[in-house]
Amino acid sequence: MNCAECKEILVAYLEGLLAEPQKQAVTDHLKDCRSCQAEVKQLTNLQERLVSNGRTVAQSDLEDEVLNRIVREQNVRLKAADKAAAGLKLRRIIMKSPTTKLAAAAAIIIAVLIGIHQFGSGTVTLADVIEPILNARTMIFDVIIGDEETGTAMNETIVGQTIRRTISNIPGMTMIIDLASSKMLVLNDTDNSAGYVDIQGTVKERHQSYVEFLRQVITKLKDNHQELGEQEIDGRKAVVFEARGHNQGVKIWADPKTALPIRIELTLGQMFSIMKNFQINPQIDDSLVSMDVPAGYTLDKTEFDMTDVTEQDFIESLRIWAKVMRDGTFPEEIGTENAMKQMPLLGEKMMALNLPEPEASQMGMNFGKGMIFHQILETGGGQWHYAGNGVKLGDADKAIFWYCPQGSETYRVIYGDLTVKDV
Amino acid sequence: MTETDTYYIERCLDGHPDDFRYIVRRYQAVLLAHLAGKLGNKDRAEEAAQESLVRAYFNMNKLQKPESFFSWLLGIADRVAKEHQRKDMLHQQREAIRSFSAEAAGPELSQDYGLEAAIAELPESYRRVVLLRYYGEHSCSQVAEQLDMPLGTVTKTLSRAYAMLRKSLQQKEETQVSEV
Repeated sequence: MNCAECKEILVAYLEGLLAEPQKQAVTDHLKDCRSCQAEVKQLTNLQERLVSNGRTVAQSDLEDEVLNRIVREQNVRLKAADKAAAGLKLRRIIMKSPTTKLAAAAAIIIAVLIGIHQFGSGTVTLADVIEPILNARTMIFDVIIGDEETGTAMNETIVGQTIRRTISNIPGMTMIIDLASSKMLVLNDTDNSAGYVDIQGTVKERHQSYVEFLRQVITKLKDNHQELGEQEIDGRKAVVFEARGHNQGVKIWADPKTALPIRIELTLGQMFSIMKNFQINPQIDDSLVSMDVPAGYTLDKTEFDMTDVTEQDFIESLRIWAKVMRDGTFPEEIGTENAMKQMPLLGEKMMALNLPEPEASQMGMNFGKGMIFHQILETGGGQWHYAGNGVKLGDADKAIFWYCPQGSETYRVIYGDLTVKDV
Repeated sequence: MTETDTYYIERCLDGHPDDFRYIVRRYQAVLLAHLAGKLGNKDRAEEAAQESLVRAYFNMNKLQKPESFFSWLLGIADRVAKEHQRKDMLHQQREAIRSFSAEAAGPELSQDYGLEAAIAELPESYRRVVLLRYYGEHSCSQVAEQLDMPLGTVTKTLSRAYAMLRKSLQQKEETQVSEV
């Protein structure tokens, strides 16, 4: 072995990685070669210095400080409602777990109802003022649940009895709703999975009777609307109409020349929403609202049943809201707008709990159903009041929610321990 | 500590932020050495290492290849170090103006981190191996596994890295001597 060969494998030699014959060859060479001995000495010095520096540095422990910083930063981000981050995170969560798909489905189901109401209500005063929208076969618009800055936005494409919908805080999810067959198809773009949701039963009944409800509202509001004259909105001139009823109000901005709607603000009970960016009778490819699972998507076998919604579901959703999402106290406010905003949080918390699949599914369904109960109450003209802000779950002395179903003479009162009394 | 980076990253993304501690354990010393070499000061290196890890945590969802987490983390650390250096420089310039001293000195490099500074100057592929071997306290075969390269390449890389380190340390000593 010569010096060049020796130096070539010297590091492997020092690391003890050489096989016996080679090792022996190096040892033999080193015995006689001063220059290579010096090289070994230099290398060992450097290695010793590296090892000793490595040990010194290894004594620092950043673990706790880094994790504390992450928690603090996370809280700041949550508080600042960093929607983009939550959205991204949620997308990862949704992709990974059937459980959170359910949580998302619950959110979507809440939104289905809003859709039905929105569309219907849109027709309410439009019946008075805007002819084209009544006869529109297809329509595209945005709906914001809540106010313009903080609300959750949905994009709606409507073809006859079908709706295609996306929701701003659940990226990657598309829902196609067929009102005629009371079915919804949920498409998850992130993992190309698809699922059907049954919205028959209570939901469907509500939808049918809601049509009746609409007729009443139309009759009531028709003679009661105000023309507010011309205003400027989004840099355009518009004629403004407003109609108010007992439990609902509608304000419409329309183009004075074409009579097409520019913006509609709708108040239903305590829920506020904005519809805008209308396209009336656009060309829409039928495949966009097809109820068939698109090619390349796998169908999830689980069917979500939304056929029965009761007060008990609502109570259960309050329990989940306090216990799972809020560490034991009831939220500041409830209602559709807040429920929609909180969906990413519910998804996260459910993941963190690591529940077995069936329990987690149950929880997602319960929350969704509870919120539907509340929405039916609201849109059905029932009176309700929420006073749970800051009340601890289990506090039997404080009433957190009371409501009077339409036509009832007594109030149902729900207390902090989630017992119910007739008053 | 036997799980892969990819495993822990997936766990974090699935809502188990606590598992990030295993990543911190695995790379803190490596990061500190790297940053000490760049910033020349233990406290600043610790601060920058924490910041790099926190930043990595919140950007994990943008990481395309979880298996190359380590290189990605070093990239983040490089950016953090650069930001800190820029801040330091501004600070020093301001100080210099305030004290009417014309000379704005470069970051003072403590003698202790001469070795780390030399490591920080190594090309990326050498730097990774040296950092993992000595500051990550990996054996050569663990380095090979972690970086997905043959064992022979690891020892050859180390061999060349030693040569570069020795040359660079020698030069540093010479300049210090000539400065005196």
